[in-house]
Amino acid sequence: MSTAVAHTKIKTQNQILLGFGLMLALVLVVSLSMGAYRIPLPQTLAILLDQIGLQVGAFEVQQANVLLQIRMPRVLMGVLVGGGLGIAGAALQGMFRNPLVEPGLIGVSSGSALFAVIFMVLVPMTPALGWIRPIGLPIFAFAGGLIAVLAVYRLSKSQGKTDAATLILAGVAINALAGALIGLVLFFADDSALRSFTFWSLGDLAGATWAKIPVSLVLIAFPSLMLLFNYRNLNALALGEQEAFHMGVNVQRVKLQLLVFSALILGAGVSMVGMIGFVGLVVPHLIRILFGADHRLVLPGSFLLGALLLNFADLIARVIVIPAEMPIGVITALIGAPFFIWLIFNLNKSKN
Amino acid sequence: MLKATNVHFCIRQRPIVDEVSLELNPGEILAILGPNGAGKSTFFKILSGEVRCKHGAIGYNGHDIHKLKSRELAEVRAVMPQHTQVNFPFTVQEVVELGLISTRAKDPAKLIREVLEATHTLHLSGQVFNTLSGGEKQRVQLARVLVQIWEAKPFPRYLLLDEPTSSLDIAQQHAVLKILKTLKSRNIGILVILHELNLAAQYADKIALLKNGMVAKAGTVEEVLDEGILAQVFDHPIQLISNPATGGVFISSLASQPIPTHTFKQA
Repeated sequence: MSTAVAHTKIKTQNQILLGFGLMLALVLVVSLSMGAYRIPLPQTLAILLDQIGLQVGAFEVQQANVLLQIRMPRVLMGVLVGGGLGIAGAALQGMFRNPLVEPGLIGVSSGSALFAVIFMVLVPMTPALGWIRPIGLPIFAFAGGLIAVLAVYRLSKSQGKTDAATLILAGVAINALAGALIGLVLFFADDSALRSFTFWSLGDLAGATWAKIPVSLVLIAFPSLMLLFNYRNLNALALGEQEAFHMGVNVQRVKLQLLVFSALILGAGVSMVGMIGFVGLVVPHLIRILFGADHRLVLPGSFLLGALLLNFADLIARVIVIPAEMPIGVITALIGAPFFIWLIFNLNKSKN
Repeated sequence: MLKATNVHFCIRQRPIVDEVSLELNPGEILAILGPNGAGKSTFFKILSGEVRCKHGAIGYNGHDIHKLKSRELAEVRAVMPQHTQVNFPFTVQEVVELGLISTRAKDPAKLIREVLEATHTLHLSGQVFNTLSGGEKQRVQLARVLVQIWEAKPFPRYLLLDEPTSSLDIAQQHAVLKILKTLKSRNIGILVILHELNLAAQYADKIALLKNGMVAKAGTVEEVLDEGILAQVFDHPIQLISNPATGGVFISSLASQPIPTHTFKQA
């Protein structure tokens, strides 16, 4: 009986993931076709199919150029960053055993941002460092994120558990400190560094180019895959660190892996598109509410749904004020903040 | 054999566990009793490997606990802590399945069904763990712990339980201890921290009394159950009354008053 149950469960989970995959594909195609320069849907499909050698319809060269050179890297970046935010959020929530953990809330994003700003200011000042520019930013952001997440973890842990109140307080402290330090660094920045910081801090997929995709693949797709392999460990950690140890999980090693991979993903994401809030919080929650807490589904589901939501938000950001663009962080916060309030409200209700 | 030798653990120079040596053989139930603050839980955590002892050694089947990887340790011992909180909406089935995370079971579905039946939780398997009552949660956790060592293995294994009956009604308390009793024939040694002296007297093979971090007395049930020793360990007058219903003894802490005979027949 139970074997059958287990098989149906895995089958259902795979079907849910397939469903998310199809929805994501749909959003991507729509996203490729819409924007200041409209490419009708048939042409969009024709261009995409042409890429894999199938000629089904005519299109203009300019259409193909816009789609392949401008929009394609943008939606791919959206998939990587949105998916990364989703899966890293799910992994961190699982590891902290706390559904309130959000990369922005606990200070990981601002830790990344601080180090990214340091890098942006440092590089123009020291021309000798120019050669590391393409990879230096994500690496600095990763280091900042890792330091922040380790600090939060240390501060909030007592007797093997992370206390929600201390966790949020630690996040507030780190956010405040990072914010102040960013201000301090910017005080010494020159005009061009200040300008690039302002654009970057709004959170924006517009800067995505093909040149940034390979780095993002390595820094986001690979750690995401490594997080996926940890689904059993995350399930065990949901019972508690001691319990996971009793059941044979090497807790210290698993936690270190989870922290490093999450910080890599978030650092890379922050360095590529700036700070985008709420995706890492909202997405894993939606999956858990809809389909339960098994990380075999929560992790990949969060990646797909995160990718979907960020691309959807980017689509809105591009379409809503044509020909201008709304910063994407505004859209995600507009969706995410009410959801967060609803979440707090419901958590309180379930406690009583 | 699970063997603790001169285990010593201090917090701020104050010994919590003071030179404790104990042995647990497969096929026997050892009950750890003692007043609050006797060091039972700390000793328990040292035995399970959660806490490293500063001096002394713990050996599982002759292997030093610190030389065993967490996965290897999980194959020879299962642990049930006092409280386990689940923060996400896992179902009972999912929680119990977690017990098999580091063992490669031949037929996991059968093992899970058997432990769910043994703990009377089969009917709960589809429910979300956090919606259960305190007693149900405890039984599900027990099922999760049992499944880890349920499959027959050619080497002795050990089960450590820290007050597994604390949230259970009388019938369920006995049900749990009866399950522990059946494990004895599976070449499993059971160490259980209990508060209820009568449960220990009825089900345990051996008892160790802890006080101030030291073993006040350890031995068979008959050797340890002594009015004088118990009264000294618990700082409370305790009476042993022979129980004609079971042939054993009934332990009463209401010693200042004479006890009417019919009350302990029911017990």
